[in-house]
Amino acid sequence: MSNILELQHVSKKFDNDLVLDDLCLEVKENTFMTLLGPSGCGKTTTLRIIGGFTTPDQGCVLFEGKDITNLPPNKRQLNTVFQKYALFPHMTVGENIAFGLKISGKSDEYIRDKIKYALKLVNMDDYANRDVTMLSGGQQQRIAIARAIVNEPKVLLLDEPLGALDLKLRQDMQYELIRLKNELGITFIYVTHDQEEALTMSDTVVVMNQGYIQQMGTPENIYNEPENAFVATFIGDSNILGGIMLRDKLVRILGTDFPCVDTGFGVNKPVDVVIRPEDVILGEAGKGQMDGVVSHLIFKGVHYEMEVQAGGFEWLVQSTSMFPVGQPVSLSVDPFNIQIMNKPESEDEEAVVVDV
Amino acid sequence: MKNFLKRFYLIIILLFLYLPIVTLIVLSFNDTKTMGVWKGFTLKWYQDMFSNPQILNAFCNTLFIALLAAVVSTVVGTVACVGIMALSKRQKNAVLQATNIPLLNADIVTAVALLLAFGMFGISLSLGTVVFAHITFCLPYVILNVLPKLRQTGTIHFEAAQDLGATPLYAFMHIVLPDIMPGVFSGFLLAFTMSLDDFIITYFTRGAGINTISTLVYSQVKVGIRPTIFALSTVIFVLVLIVLLLSNFLPEKMEKAREKAEKEGRELTPEQRKKRRTAKRIGAGIVAAAVVAVCVLASPYVGAMAGKGEVIYFYNYGDYIDPDLISAFEAETGISVVMDTFDTNESMYPIIEGGQVSYDLIVAGDYTIEKMIENKLIQPINYDNIPNAANLEPAYMEILASTDPGNQYMIPYTWGTVGILYNKTMIPEGRITSWKDLWDPELAEHGILMMDSLRDTFMVAELILGYDMNTSDPEELQKVVDLLIEQQPLVQAYENDSARDDIITESAGLGMIYSGEYLYCLDENENLDYVIPEEGTNVWFDCFVIPTNAKNKEGAEKFINFMLDAEAGLATFNYLTYPIPNAATMELIDEEIREDENVFPSQETLDRCDRFHYLGKEADQVLASYWKRFRGN
Repeated sequence: MSNILELQHVSKKFDNDLVLDDLCLEVKENTFMTLLGPSGCGKTTTLRIIGGFTTPDQGCVLFEGKDITNLPPNKRQLNTVFQKYALFPHMTVGENIAFGLKISGKSDEYIRDKIKYALKLVNMDDYANRDVTMLSGGQQQRIAIARAIVNEPKVLLLDEPLGALDLKLRQDMQYELIRLKNELGITFIYVTHDQEEALTMSDTVVVMNQGYIQQMGTPENIYNEPENAFVATFIGDSNILGGIMLRDKLVRILGTDFPCVDTGFGVNKPVDVVIRPEDVILGEAGKGQMDGVVSHLIFKGVHYEMEVQAGGFEWLVQSTSMFPVGQPVSLSVDPFNIQIMNKPESEDEEAVVVDV
Repeated sequence: MKNFLKRFYLIIILLFLYLPIVTLIVLSFNDTKTMGVWKGFTLKWYQDMFSNPQILNAFCNTLFIALLAAVVSTVVGTVACVGIMALSKRQKNAVLQATNIPLLNADIVTAVALLLAFGMFGISLSLGTVVFAHITFCLPYVILNVLPKLRQTGTIHFEAAQDLGATPLYAFMHIVLPDIMPGVFSGFLLAFTMSLDDFIITYFTRGAGINTISTLVYSQVKVGIRPTIFALSTVIFVLVLIVLLLSNFLPEKMEKAREKAEKEGRELTPEQRKKRRTAKRIGAGIVAAAVVAVCVLASPYVGAMAGKGEVIYFYNYGDYIDPDLISAFEAETGISVVMDTFDTNESMYPIIEGGQVSYDLIVAGDYTIEKMIENKLIQPINYDNIPNAANLEPAYMEILASTDPGNQYMIPYTWGTVGILYNKTMIPEGRITSWKDLWDPELAEHGILMMDSLRDTFMVAELILGYDMNTSDPEELQKVVDLLIEQQPLVQAYENDSARDDIITESAGLGMIYSGEYLYCLDENENLDYVIPEEGTNVWFDCFVIPTNAKNKEGAEKFINFMLDAEAGLATFNYLTYPIPNAATMELIDEEIREDENVFPSQETLDRCDRFHYLGKEADQVLASYWKRFRGN
């Protein structure tokens, strides 16, 4: 697969505020790529640079190998689904969908067929003559998608398109988007701050923070092997602890030695350790690797979420079995579930804890 | 009870708001010139209005200026808003502050500033300067209306359209503009109405012969407002009402249909769709009509600018000439007359003195003309071009010669005296002989009216005390003020324009008045009589003069000659009811009136009379300070 889109050393400043710093990104043809990060991380700016609404201060944008950095949006072979849908309120559903086609001078018959096809694709067959302001949020979203895809773009940009929908609708739409992507066979670049959305839909997830790409990979890769503390905190819940890599496959955490599977960090090297809450196994006191006391307990539906005081650290633990508050317990972790990361080397890579 | 109070309150408010307008509309159909009485239904004021070229011209001017200013400021303002939106926040605030200051600025400051700026850059005042000035003060209103709408719309639709392949211009025209149209439309309407009723800025920036309705009405204050102006105001009110109803009613109706459909959760029927389209088309129609109207109204100006021939610019009191005479002169000579009007000598003088507007001919009061001669603002008249000067009554020319030796500068147009008008049913004929009668407590119960005019009011007391009516001696003036203050309890009102109406409707029994008003009043109430008191009075003349900077002196002299024709004098007399100093005209006037000593006093009476003179700047200030003492009491 070749690169359909490339960003090369792109930087952008707004009022002395560096939003993107030397960003490089390659997008393979026919992938579902998600830019994930907290607000202000530069993901939307990246999307706007690809769409042509913002010009980078430095660097260039290549589309199918050609430089399109200074091409206006109306000349680019991509279309965008905007965060707030941006449907034209004084036009009907049909007129909205036909807008792009009319500009490119398609015949009336072609336009009529396309409207029908697009509406069918988003499951809104009989809505062509409706007023867009009369539609629900989910319906408007589908129309916005239909309006973008009738122009047969090679890349579809989606800017937090599900942000304004309620949870149930959002989940439905996630499946719809995956189905659409497979039916159309085009590249999707999707921007969101919702890690669950990113993990559910994407082929590739790009985690961004403070204008940098923190990590790029498949959803499984990002979740299971976060490269730094930021990624670990941002994707799912985690216990992040300082540790010392005593030697290959052995790490000391809070004074206790834990066997692990990581190698190549050197000897007696300080590292960050990530342990997912669902990977901490609770047992009878004295029978695990470490002992502690349960300090909080919340029922979450699928599982219980507990906080356990052990070794001077408050461990977040998720388990299907319940241990009441005040009960002494033991903690143990499977070596495969211990993720070792290098300490951040520069300030820019410093993990930033963000409430999302 | 509560409901009743609520309703009562509402009715009171509505009365406050609409009673004046209803009064105006009713009076526009009243078959008399007097404001206070109803004398039957008539459409003649409307007829008069539509046949009076000056009113029609002012009406067209007003509409043309308002439409052009509104269209241009709407376009410029909307484009400016797009630019403002693209600025950073700090720049945006700075620009908005800058555009809002003219909005809060006093009109008079804007007006004077514009006048100075035009003068500074050597732009002579014309219709163009008025339009320019109007565009200037309309712009902030447009920005104020469009910007919030644009802000509300944001850039998102604009970007979405470009994303779908639209060029920025196409996106603006097809997506952004329909979105902000309500703001643009209300900005247009506001600019239109602001321009429509502006007086101050128009007054200061207009060139020779440019009148709008407001400047025309204002300039008629001297002679009192004719009911044709009521008719005109009614027409304007109805026009504005129609525009307002259209602009409020159409969008509301569309919105309602949509809301209804929304509630029922169904599609718009093809019928409603059609209605919406029709409404849109009507909106577009209004805009198109506005543009067409501008073009139609503009065509005479384009014609005039192309230079269609000889023109004279004539500066006159408002409504102080029979418009038919101007048409007749134009037909006879092919010279077009552009007439501009003023309300008092005091407001005319600085404009002539400033020299920014050049007129060929002016009608002015005699003592103001003395000042103009002294300051070399007018030039001698060439009698070779005015053979009809022979028609002038030599006796009057002799009187004028006392200030204008050899009658070089001024040719009298009208003349008259100041005297006492009284009602014969209340006061027996012959009872009034002296100015002192205005101090008579017995007569005060019928209602005494005094003029509210420095020279005229002082003159009465000066004559009673046996002083010269041109005195500026402080001791004498103090006695004059004392005497007038003594009279105050007996006076019903000090007024100029409404005096004739009060006496016609018999709400006052006697009062000071100009002789010209007497015949006018006699038409409306035959019980009235006019007396020139035994102490004498002021004889005044309004004269034609030619300014030093006139561009068509010969044309102006032709016009004077035309006006001195016997028939033209008669028409003037019938229109104004002021005496005409024209011997040839006298022979054409009904004998009954000609013999009326009140209108045309005998030589013997005239010998008792005197004239006001220009006393110089210092004396003027002394007089003004004593006038203040009297009025402040």
